[in-house]
Amino acid sequence: MSTVKSKKLQVGTDASASNNFTIYQPAVPDGTLRVGVGNADSPTEIARFDATGMISGGATPDALSTATGSAPSYSARAWANFSGTGTPTLRSSGNVTSITDHGTGDYSINFTTSMPDVNYCANVTIPAENHYCTGIGTGGGVGSPTSSYGTSAFRTGTIRSQGGAVFDPAYINIAIFR
Amino acid sequence: MNKRIVYKNDDGTIAIIVPAECGLTIEEIAAKDVPAGKEHWIVDASEIPSDRTFRNAWEWQ
Repeated sequence: MSTVKSKKLQVGTDASASNNFTIYQPAVPDGTLRVGVGNADSPTEIARFDATGMISGGATPDALSTATGSAPSYSARAWANFSGTGTPTLRSSGNVTSITDHGTGDYSINFTTSMPDVNYCANVTIPAENHYCTGIGTGGGVGSPTSSYGTSAFRTGTIRSQGGAVFDPAYINIAIFR
Repeated sequence: MNKRIVYKNDDGTIAIIVPAECGLTIEEIAAKDVPAGKEHWIVDASEIPSDRTFRNAWEWQ
């Protein structure tokens, strides 16, 4: 039995390079496996794998197989569903170690793995309740005049659209996209 | 996780951390999510009042 070792393996021999693919190790090995479109001499990366088998990057995000159309799909980088009433509880979450209850209508979610920067998109929603339309203000509760976007946590406040007072909603949903 | 982490804000009010089921222990979550330099206490969730009417006036003693 013999073993073939190579830094690059081209799949396909078509005259058009765009019809061929290359599996390769980067010029400076970093523990990743790359897949590129094109011949072995100059592949363009389209997917990347690490030792856990997960795709850890690609040149262009793709649409999920379940998506309609070709627009790229981006997943939430962190999310949480929690209650602000009674003794606040975290119902479920992803990439979140905890929430911090700073006071009435004033919460943070703390990320397990930090965001790459503070330019993420934070979506916060509250179901309407008790006849009030509810909304998220850029102001937080007492001691938190503005929402704050940190790499390790996101802080925001919840206010009633009627009267503008801070309050504790029964359901608070936060999703972070980047 | 039926525990909570309590620490004091700079203005004297208190913050309460609700841990997630994230694979970390309560002590590890406290080390990560309590602001640096803040003293904190780990308590049972049942020790936290459920009536939040005067939440911003709560003090930790």
